[in-house]
Amino acid sequence: MSTAFPLPTDISSTTVANTASLLRIVAFGLISGAAIASRLFAVINFESIIHEFDPWFNYRATRVLAAKGFYEFWNWFDPTAWYPLGRVVGGTVYPGLMATSGVIYNFLHYFNLPVDIRNICVLLAPGFSALTAWATYMFTTEMKDSSAGLLAAAFIGIVPGYISRSVAGSYDNEAIAIFLLMITFYLWIKALKLGSALFGTLAAVFYFYMVAAWGGYAFITNMIPVHALVLLLMGRFSSRLYVAYCSWYAIGTLSSMQVPFVGFQPVRTSEHMGALGVFGLLQIVAFASLVRSHVSSKQFQNLLAISVVTMGVLGAGAFVVMTYKGWIAPWTGRFYSLWDTGYAKKYIPIIASVSEHQPTAWPSFFMDLQLLIFLFPAGVVMCFRDLRDEHVFVIIYAVVASYFAGVMVRLMLTLTPVVCVSAAVALSTLLDTYVDASEPDVPEERTEANGSSASDGKKTKKAGAAVGSQAGASAAAAASSAISDLVSASKSNAQSRQKGIWGADARLVILLNAIGMLVFFVFHCTWVTSNAYSSPSVVLASTNPDGSQHIIDDYREAYYWLRQNTPQDAVVMSWWDYGYQIAGMADRVTLVDNNTWNNTHIATVGKAMSSPEEVAYPILRKHDVDYVLVIFGGLLGYSGDDINKFLWMVRIAQGVWPDEIQEPNYFTPQGEYRVDDRASETMRNSLMYKMSYYRFSELYGGGNALDRVRNQQIPKVGPTLDYLEEAFTTENWIVRIYKVRKEDPLGRDLKTANAFAQGKKRKRGKPVSRRRAIV
Amino acid sequence: MKLSGLYSLFTIPFALAASNTGKSQLVSRAAAGNGVIRLDASTFDLLTAPSRDWSASIHFTALDKRRRCAPCKEFDPAWNAVAKAWATVPAEHRDNHFFATLDFDEAPTVFQKLNLASAPVVWVYGPTEGPRASGKNVPSKYDFSNGFEAEPLAFHLSNHTPIPIPYKAPIDWGRWITFLGGLLVFALTLRFIAPILQSRWTWAFITIVTSLTMTGGFMFTRIRGSPYTGADGAWIAGGYQNQFGQEVQVVALIYGTLAFSVVMLTMIVPYQSSPARQRLQVYLWSGVLMLVYSVLVTLFRVKNRGYPFKLLL
Repeated sequence: MSTAFPLPTDISSTTVANTASLLRIVAFGLISGAAIASRLFAVINFESIIHEFDPWFNYRATRVLAAKGFYEFWNWFDPTAWYPLGRVVGGTVYPGLMATSGVIYNFLHYFNLPVDIRNICVLLAPGFSALTAWATYMFTTEMKDSSAGLLAAAFIGIVPGYISRSVAGSYDNEAIAIFLLMITFYLWIKALKLGSALFGTLAAVFYFYMVAAWGGYAFITNMIPVHALVLLLMGRFSSRLYVAYCSWYAIGTLSSMQVPFVGFQPVRTSEHMGALGVFGLLQIVAFASLVRSHVSSKQFQNLLAISVVTMGVLGAGAFVVMTYKGWIAPWTGRFYSLWDTGYAKKYIPIIASVSEHQPTAWPSFFMDLQLLIFLFPAGVVMCFRDLRDEHVFVIIYAVVASYFAGVMVRLMLTLTPVVCVSAAVALSTLLDTYVDASEPDVPEERTEANGSSASDGKKTKKAGAAVGSQAGASAAAAASSAISDLVSASKSNAQSRQKGIWGADARLVILLNAIGMLVFFVFHCTWVTSNAYSSPSVVLASTNPDGSQHIIDDYREAYYWLRQNTPQDAVVMSWWDYGYQIAGMADRVTLVDNNTWNNTHIATVGKAMSSPEEVAYPILRKHDVDYVLVIFGGLLGYSGDDINKFLWMVRIAQGVWPDEIQEPNYFTPQGEYRVDDRASETMRNSLMYKMSYYRFSELYGGGNALDRVRNQQIPKVGPTLDYLEEAFTTENWIVRIYKVRKEDPLGRDLKTANAFAQGKKRKRGKPVSRRRAIV
Repeated sequence: MKLSGLYSLFTIPFALAASNTGKSQLVSRAAAGNGVIRLDASTFDLLTAPSRDWSASIHFTALDKRRRCAPCKEFDPAWNAVAKAWATVPAEHRDNHFFATLDFDEAPTVFQKLNLASAPVVWVYGPTEGPRASGKNVPSKYDFSNGFEAEPLAFHLSNHTPIPIPYKAPIDWGRWITFLGGLLVFALTLRFIAPILQSRWTWAFITIVTSLTMTGGFMFTRIRGSPYTGADGAWIAGGYQNQFGQEVQVVALIYGTLAFSVVMLTMIVPYQSSPARQRLQVYLWSGVLMLVYSVLVTLFRVKNRGYPFKLLL
């Protein structure tokens, strides 16, 4: 056979194999290094700090776990959250993340390595990203081969879609969950391929870890059953499938019920019913195929088929009835809103208000996945060409995950692994084809052979169809035979036709093109990671005119002020976004936090924020609020502030008190959302507005006070406060803290008391009720 | 002085009678209009008379074609359906709440008087007398943030009516018939379409098209209801977190072309029978790949102005 470029001939095959394996190990080491290193931008640009909101709670819980031990953590009741209700933390948390850090912490301390728990938490996500790369490598190796696996590992190591949730300091459940997702999927594929109960059990063990770590475990709970179901429908039932699924389901479900937060949900909620249903179906099908292998009578087989269908229908009916009767809980809002996308906005504004629950526009896809996003469909096509059992899994995963990622930005995270796997399959097939040095034979003899083989293919296809129609009686059998015929037809075609590339220039074009695109991908990933995804959002950065970096540290300034200047048991009210941060950094009691379990409590805070002072004050006093904290970005142009979130507070409050709070009242009659002198009366009287713009115009010395977020002029005469007083405002005015006044000692209402103190005369429109003389 | 006092005493029964006749007039008008009173300036004043023991929800609209109010047309059937549902409740409750519609072209003065600049608007006037009197004479507005459907409207208005509105969404017979018909056609033609259904490439096509539309941001346009193009004919929406319907098609087409050229290069080109044709195809598809990718990056630079990289274009 001729070759396009000279190949050395004097190398033994063992040398080649050994070199390949060494290269694989080296490549893998480099991939892990790159995955970890690219996640450290956040630490290098800022410092070793916990990011954003939820991680602050995880960090706080981990500190409790590390300091007091697992049992204390398990029984932890936190009286400082959701004041005055408190929160049973041990039973309302996915403990996997904290337990992982706790184990690492104790492990290191056992070897006398006194590493601070904070650094473990900060670096946990980058560490696990290397493990994710490994799991993806294993998974993709099962799909194609180890060269595709290495590509997939490299992709998932640096792709922004995964980095966005796993930079150093982003200490959230997703940090370890993607690794668990991929390893569970890999073990499932392995179990399915081998029909191995051992791998099925291992899949169940990692599934348990996943359940303990992330609420998104429901994705696995439904992906594996759907895969099994599709294989059944394709007529690919086998004892391998039966063994793999049953070992995974039985052990996985029983162990997942050991997590207190999950409890009996696996047998009581709709999210888990698919897995149970497929489990039951598999038993029926397995029984039927067992009977079929022992009985030959045709009538009996028909009877069997009918009874299997009847049992399936009856089982499905039983689920419906049980759901209707309330024995099985219906879909929870969070999952239901994935299907009925208008549902959350209508009925659960809290879920709809979270920015990561918004739908995804196409630039986000390109930003997060770049060239992988168009290699991905090509890889799916290649999966369809081979269509082994494990390829069916990738295909289902691709469809489901791309839908979910379109509905919610945060679910981009579940799409990313399959995109990496599929793109790696596509690219490595391309490279395989064009790196291969062998050239096909001379073309002359091929034309005839080609023609005859095509007609052969047609014949076999026809024969296949005829066989299929004869079999007729059982649809599944027909489907499987037709499919296998198609497979054999296409394969025979492929074999008879010669495959290969002529010439070195064609190879060079493709390889240069591919390398160029990969280099571009690396540049893109580096740029996106360093610019978009490495900000801790607790500390903000801006650039000075001379190009140097300016750090804006208002959040921590405010939280440390609270920590040092207020009593230990002071109650701080803020919008729920900042609850975890206040608890974590200021160590003060909060009313609501990011664990949004109590809608009414959040609506209460929303009502206080959106009502006039006189209405809000009794609410504040009833909840023992000492300080109110608002985020204001108008001075700096920081758009994530409370005025921009204000409409959600209004909406959530309106959900509970539709008579008192009405959203249209906060708009101008023209339907605009304004904060300048055209703002509506309700808007200007609301507590949030007053706290945000209190004394804001003074800063401009009576000049034009400009709100730089909304680009509107603030009236010169700003709002006044009677029931609150300003306690602290940070350097850039991002955080403003107000102290709630106590009742007036003389029993006047605070408005009158203030007016008196300022020397204003009380208007005497009508006589005030005086003390009556006793007759 | 005395006389005027007497006079006012004298007129009380008349006033009561007037309000009674007013009410009966409203009842008969509501019955005639299928539960909805068509208002003009005078009946509007009657319905919102300062002393009333009834409540009323009034729908201000502009249905005339010249007004070009698309939301009005969209909302009108929902309003009539809810009003019709209310007309079925027992008379003792029904006659305490009225549904009324006021069209701009029939009473522009009322719009001016109420300072209304847009339509459709729904205001609910509470009763000022009788056991249900709330004490405030300011109408409350209905918030359209839940859309123009009848269900949320009925739910909201039930807060203001004596008893909840017995509104039930009508059974969509058309949809059911289509569904059953589709099922029947499917069952009948199963024999013929079975080879198509069993072909993997049918499913490959479905899978690819689905994932391309999803990654093109289709769900974003669905959920946000973004228009197909901008008002001025622009087809690219400004801003990174925004897009128009047409962008879905363009982007999906670009992704599809790029994926297609990769598929051609791996699955078709190696099986070519002549070297010259194969070389041509390799260059062709590589060129397509490079060029379309450059277009994609340029498009992305339009959306994300800070993006520092570019390819050929």
